[in-house]
Amino acid sequence: MVEIKYVPSICPYCGTGCGINFVVKDGKIIGVEPYKRHPVNEGKVCPKGNFGYQFINREDRLTTPLIKENGEFREASWDEALDLVANKLKEVSDEDPNKVGFYACARSPNENIYITQKLARVACGTQNVDHCARICHGPTVAGLANTFGSGAMTNGFDSIKEADYIFCIGSNNMEAHPLFGRKMIQAKQNGAKLVVLDPRFTPTAKIADEYVQFETGTDVALMNAMIKVIIDEGLQDEEFIHYRTKGFEEMKEVVQKYDLEMASEITGIKPEVIRKLAIDYASADKAAIVYSLGITEHSHGADNVMSTANLAMLTGNIGKQGTGVNPLRGQNNVQGACDMGALPSDYVGYRKVKDPETTAWFNDYYSGYGYEVNLPTTPGLTLVEMMNAAHAGDLKVLYIHGEDPVLSDADVQHTKEALENLEMLVVQECFLTDTAQCADVVLPAAGWGEQEGTFTSGERRVQCLHKAQEPPEGAWLDWKIMEEIAVRMGVPRELFHYESAEEIFEEIRECAPIMAGMDRKRLDTPEALHWPCPSEDDPCQPLMHKVTFAHPDGLGVFQALEHKGPVETTDDEYPLLLTTTRILFHYHAAMTIRCETLNNEVKTGFIEINTKDAEARGIINGEVVRAFSRRGEIAIPARVTDDIREGIVNIPMHFVECAANVLTNSDSFDPKSKMVELKACAIEVEKLPEKLEMKGEVYKDGTDTEIKAENMSTTTVKVGK
Amino acid sequence: MSANIEKMYYAYSANEDIKAKGEYGGVVTTIMKYLLESGTVDAVVGVEEGHDLYDGVPCLVTEPEDIMKTAGSIHCGTLNLAKFVYKYLDGCRDMKVAVSCKPCDAMTIRELIKRGKIIGDNIILIGVNCGGTLPPVPTMNMIKEVYELDPKDVVKEEISKGKLIMETADGEEKGFGIEDLEEDGMGRRENCQRCNLKIPSNADLALGNWGVIGPLAGKATFVEVFTDKGSEILADVIDAGLIEVDEPIEKGIKIRENINNFMLKQAQAKKDVDYAGTTGDIIDVFHMYDEEFSKCMKCYGCREACPLCFCEDCCLEAEGPEWVPGGYTPAAPFFHLTRMVHMVDACTNCGQCSDVCPCEIPVAKVWSTVNNKVREVYGYIPGFDSDDRIPFTEHISKAKKL
Repeated sequence: MVEIKYVPSICPYCGTGCGINFVVKDGKIIGVEPYKRHPVNEGKVCPKGNFGYQFINREDRLTTPLIKENGEFREASWDEALDLVANKLKEVSDEDPNKVGFYACARSPNENIYITQKLARVACGTQNVDHCARICHGPTVAGLANTFGSGAMTNGFDSIKEADYIFCIGSNNMEAHPLFGRKMIQAKQNGAKLVVLDPRFTPTAKIADEYVQFETGTDVALMNAMIKVIIDEGLQDEEFIHYRTKGFEEMKEVVQKYDLEMASEITGIKPEVIRKLAIDYASADKAAIVYSLGITEHSHGADNVMSTANLAMLTGNIGKQGTGVNPLRGQNNVQGACDMGALPSDYVGYRKVKDPETTAWFNDYYSGYGYEVNLPTTPGLTLVEMMNAAHAGDLKVLYIHGEDPVLSDADVQHTKEALENLEMLVVQECFLTDTAQCADVVLPAAGWGEQEGTFTSGERRVQCLHKAQEPPEGAWLDWKIMEEIAVRMGVPRELFHYESAEEIFEEIRECAPIMAGMDRKRLDTPEALHWPCPSEDDPCQPLMHKVTFAHPDGLGVFQALEHKGPVETTDDEYPLLLTTTRILFHYHAAMTIRCETLNNEVKTGFIEINTKDAEARGIINGEVVRAFSRRGEIAIPARVTDDIREGIVNIPMHFVECAANVLTNSDSFDPKSKMVELKACAIEVEKLPEKLEMKGEVYKDGTDTEIKAENMSTTTVKVGK
Repeated sequence: MSANIEKMYYAYSANEDIKAKGEYGGVVTTIMKYLLESGTVDAVVGVEEGHDLYDGVPCLVTEPEDIMKTAGSIHCGTLNLAKFVYKYLDGCRDMKVAVSCKPCDAMTIRELIKRGKIIGDNIILIGVNCGGTLPPVPTMNMIKEVYELDPKDVVKEEISKGKLIMETADGEEKGFGIEDLEEDGMGRRENCQRCNLKIPSNADLALGNWGVIGPLAGKATFVEVFTDKGSEILADVIDAGLIEVDEPIEKGIKIRENINNFMLKQAQAKKDVDYAGTTGDIIDVFHMYDEEFSKCMKCYGCREACPLCFCEDCCLEAEGPEWVPGGYTPAAPFFHLTRMVHMVDACTNCGQCSDVCPCEIPVAKVWSTVNNKVREVYGYIPGFDSDDRIPFTEHISKAKKL
């Protein structure tokens, strides 16, 4: 007789952390149904929530370790693959721990991420561990830590429903965080005014009360000018500034030169509009700032972030419901990946590598059974730095846990060369992604729905996951794989052995004071718990900075910032500024292109180009065009639209066959956060001499799909360099 | 089967355990257990408690001893089990199933039977009266903020004499006027406020506490028989000595009728408000809700949740329709127009579409408005076992069969 059960879980795509119910029939996940009892989304989900499970039981799941020989993969036993990886890691880290590096997976449960950084630190003795937050919300972590003392969203998601005025800049949350978008719709129904600022007239802009289009990468100039207006008009919160902050005078001095005319010149926004924005924000009773990657993915991303913090502190819009600085974190567990210490500068719970006492504590905590851990107090390499070190030959082994940098990092050519240059690339994955294809060893891992653990959403809500089905035979739990590698490297099994994911979480609680109070009974509920959660009797509510900021002296710090603008600017040869974005129906592709309904909806990428720019180039809607930068070129269908500012073009980053990151620039670093400039690079678009079509097979039967333009190699051609 | 089954009874379980856990005498649970034990059905589809009483989860019970998990009521049973039967049990093609049904479950199951998506001979509908259901999260918030109670402490909720009453474990009762709550956007789901079927007369049996007065008040269920199948089941359960029955008190029958009529009157008032300002014609309604639809993020949630949206290959997903181009949001108005023409003649106002809409589009209200017009024009009332022509699904033939 058939057996059917519902298993509640958390969506594995964006950082909103929606609940869903898996429908499990005879031990296999066959669908999802609404989880109406879940406090975040009340049973409502976006297309990814509805159909994003379809990849789980696909036939092309990896189930056998693969070893590359003479450029070809062959199947291998777990023993052989684990020995090979462990021996190489041991050999290189014995020689120099700085020559190995780890990318942790921001889509994976906290427990797996914690073990990844533990493998790096304990088994290899290296601080080279990072993850994709670096090229997503790294500037948030750095920028808000500098200003508020904690690099996370200041309020819970529901707080936005109490706002009177929402200043949403560089966040297209109706596509990227759709169920947060719903909360903005609810805020509007409650009477809030919603203002969206974006170079594109996005679906989010379309639901706004007011929309302001502006030039990519001019956020600091805009916000400095707003700050100047607020001060000139006397609308600042003197009491808040006096009692809760420092650094106001220095900031005030810097903003003086950002008068409306200058800011208007830089941003392309009319002076009176900038003035209105400033006055409306400062006069609202409760004003909230919402931002996302439009703020962070710049070479001055941390400055942009700190500008939002300046605005909030200037007007006292922090520490209360309906206010705050609300960065919407990218992946489902990118917040958790930061919390777990998958950062070269921080251990779990944001304890600092640089602090000798802290490092000594961890050395002591992780040593035992005759095994000595001796970590340096020098932070390791960031994700981008690791890739650059690999390119330069300074990194020999890279262990990638579930990330896909070939697709997601800037400059695909550079990434591929770097990976090629490694002595060993290990990729632990569910599918043979573009990155896995470059690997020397591929380790098949269990995926979403197949394991216990926790995800931490963008509002710092730590939520339990439950196993709905067994992983396919041959795929292992990530933390079990890493246990076996550590043991083979000579680490006593006792240091890496856990009976369950819950046992790993207990260790996390011991190491991270911000999560110490998360007992399982309170955690394993639909409401779950938010950090900071220092003790078991702490209510663990989402609102931060109510009375003091998280700096040791309790004060928020204003930052004096100058407008810098994009590193790579347009010129006659490359007259268009490219921004890269995400669309509603996909999420970094490897999982979503394997979901039939999502793939049916959008099969390949496109370049958004303004009607006038298209006209000037003789390009019509839908035709495949050539887009090229100093790094490379791609063939890609054009989407001609008035929804994007003239001079700016946009490519969603999901599709490898027309990958935006072939064009982007990996040299343009944010010195404060090591972000690369994914939202701005100079390109040109031109009509192709003869008509091309993007050819593709629809995923229907579990076989692989290849979509590419005929006769066009999309990722390897170098031009103009 | 014994003869002379009456149309109405007061009934209660002869099984003490069931009586204790089930509501008002545990008759539904007793019947379900009997149907499994006797092999009348292979499985029972019911609702069990998930995380807590606010978390109703559909469940498939195949062993009689597991039936107890469906006993008792859930605070917020907003599910529609028709889709569960159709989608996950293959419309009970290969199995016999009994389903505990609210009126809207029964309505949609009846519609799916007519369309061949559920096999009517293989399904038994054990109906339960329903005055409307509450959405879980907003209700918990309401209990905290308006009732000033901890949702965890509430053991029962009831609509009585125009008030929504919450009862805690230690016997505390608090009530607020349901009309006032609903005017402020709280209370029952919007579709429930419009619902015009409170006693599931389209099921095989309908059970509920309305009208149980006298010595059995609170201890028995009012059972009404609507079909031969229902009559047979009830006779068997009585014969087997599993439930005790009593003749209902005349005044109780009247009270039940009054409760029903009062609720129907309320529903009519809500409809008058909801349908105001439009003729109900498609273009007029679409024009009226234009701005609401402009928020649509094309999540397909309404399609997924709608029990009457059942195509294996949905034309909205096909490569063809460039009038709903893939990847563009907000979805073209044609998205909703297309879906509407496929389901609106039989829309049962079950509300699932509004429940799942992430953009706060009042979809159920829109479809209900159009369906109301269909009812006016064609006279077709969805959700009942009838041979009436389904307006947009079937043609009429005037040929005389000689």
